[in-house]
Amino acid sequence: MTSNYQAKLEGLQNDALHIRRNVWRALHAAGSGHMGGSSSAADILAALYFHHLRLRPDEPDWPDRDRFVLSKGHANAALGAALARAGFIDDSVLDQFYAYLSPFGMHPDIKMAGVEMSTGGLGHGLSVAMGMALGARMQGKDFRTCVMIGDGELQEGSNWEGAMAAAHMGLSNLTAILDYNKIQQSGHVGQMMGLEPVAQKWDAFGWAVREIDGHDMAAVVEALDALPFASDKPSMIIAHTIKGKGVSFAEDSFLWHNNLVTDEVYEKALAELGEPS
Amino acid sequence: MSVQEAPEWERRSENQSRLAFGLAVGELAGNDDKVVAISADTIDLFGLRGFLEASPERLIEAGIAEQSAMGIASGLATTGMRPILCGYAPFITARSLEQLRNDVAYANQRVVIGAACGGIVLGMAGGTHHAVEDLAIMRNMPNMTVVVPADARQTWHAAMATENLDGPSYIRLGGKFEEEPVTDLAGDGFRVGRADQLRTGGDVTIIACGALVAPALAAADALAGNGIGARVLNMHTIKPLDRDAVLAAAAETGAIVTAEEHRTTGGLGGAVAELLALEQPTAMRMIGMPDEFCIVGPTAKVREHYGMSQAAITEACRDLLK
Repeated sequence: MTSNYQAKLEGLQNDALHIRRNVWRALHAAGSGHMGGSSSAADILAALYFHHLRLRPDEPDWPDRDRFVLSKGHANAALGAALARAGFIDDSVLDQFYAYLSPFGMHPDIKMAGVEMSTGGLGHGLSVAMGMALGARMQGKDFRTCVMIGDGELQEGSNWEGAMAAAHMGLSNLTAILDYNKIQQSGHVGQMMGLEPVAQKWDAFGWAVREIDGHDMAAVVEALDALPFASDKPSMIIAHTIKGKGVSFAEDSFLWHNNLVTDEVYEKALAELGEPS
Repeated sequence: MSVQEAPEWERRSENQSRLAFGLAVGELAGNDDKVVAISADTIDLFGLRGFLEASPERLIEAGIAEQSAMGIASGLATTGMRPILCGYAPFITARSLEQLRNDVAYANQRVVIGAACGGIVLGMAGGTHHAVEDLAIMRNMPNMTVVVPADARQTWHAAMATENLDGPSYIRLGGKFEEEPVTDLAGDGFRVGRADQLRTGGDVTIIACGALVAPALAAADALAGNGIGARVLNMHTIKPLDRDAVLAAAAETGAIVTAEEHRTTGGLGGAVAELLALEQPTAMRMIGMPDEFCIVGPTAKVREHYGMSQAAITEACRDLLK
């Protein structure tokens, strides 16, 4: 491993730390929010926005940009943090989370720069992303489309309509990333409505599947660099993650799917996350 | 227009609005290479077999999966494509309602939805296949344009008019088991949001849409025999409603009867009543489905059962003028 590569990974880890800290910052400004699923997605979002996706933050509607759809829209704090760091929106917008007339509410709104689709109702993003991938194919464009799906979200049947269709259409320019943090609002996914064997399900639906540790930046980058995993199939990255990653009291607990953020909680969270460079 | 002079699309549509819409899809695709049809196993329902064979790359088969089809349409539209989603009215509204609301209306994407088998044209199929709340649903979607053409010819013009619409639109169509009326609309002057005044009259106004325009015209003719002047408005656009036409009718005739193949709540009658209640309270009667699930039967018999007929419209007008 070259030192340049190592420096790259460390830079992305630092980006992820910025995202996590800004998630807590936005939630603190709002008073509450979805820290769990925002924090589990942070490393992947850092790799997407600062390594993988081809974007022009100063030209958000650039027609040939790669598309990213956050289907698990309740992680919008993390998306906003990534968009601010990438330069799509002003950093001050992060302090406007949930605020009156803010472009930055609990869930993504297509009217905010860098947001590709209004999401929040679960089970929508995959089919919308499929439409984007089809739009690329039909117009002879080489932009890529990526959608992040939550694990609890996979309980919505519409995902499986989309999974079937994307494979049938052979959309190799489409990637889904499962943020598999194993927790949903009311408990552990496996106890609420289990997904396993989830990799075999996607394989059986006709996707090219890889499983990674979604907090191992080298593994995330390596998986993104290997896309598409097959020339004639859509790709699925099953990223094993930890809900609330980075803040001990919020980790792996459904109580911190969505919770209040007092001054005290905020200070403890930032102290645990540590200072970025 | 005589049969000899009819354009090819009109001849081939066989006076069926769903086929006229399918033919218009082909025309729109010829005009704009961004236009793409999406089928939810509805290729033959819309007469798209020829289009599929001529331009297979321009038709996406989404399968029997309305939720996915709606999402795909939205995603395509974000990339600059012009998707036209061809579905069954009862399913493409209710089954994929959240996708319709979030992905299409809330995200304000330029998706055209053609909805075949609106109303009770599948009368024999039962309540699962009737769409008598679709207009209420669609009318409550911000950004949405809602059109109910009166016949196949108007369907063609309504479909072509979507070329100039920026937001999403919903066009309600007939089905394949029912002979559709041919309404003698004046010329090709279809304008979104502009009602067609088909009969002049100063005593009462019948505001109708879709399959009830023809019975409304027949009712006006029957009333004329009794010296009652009934104005007839073909209110093909439910949203945005032609406020001026409704308010002028209320002011000039003082009595309004609405007629639609839909529940009397939330659709055309509801839209007219809401406007008049706020702007110009006017005596009204509403022809349409009551608050119940529809009986099974041949469409003509079912319409008659619920008073969606020339006789009932005529009676409502007389009742209003007592």
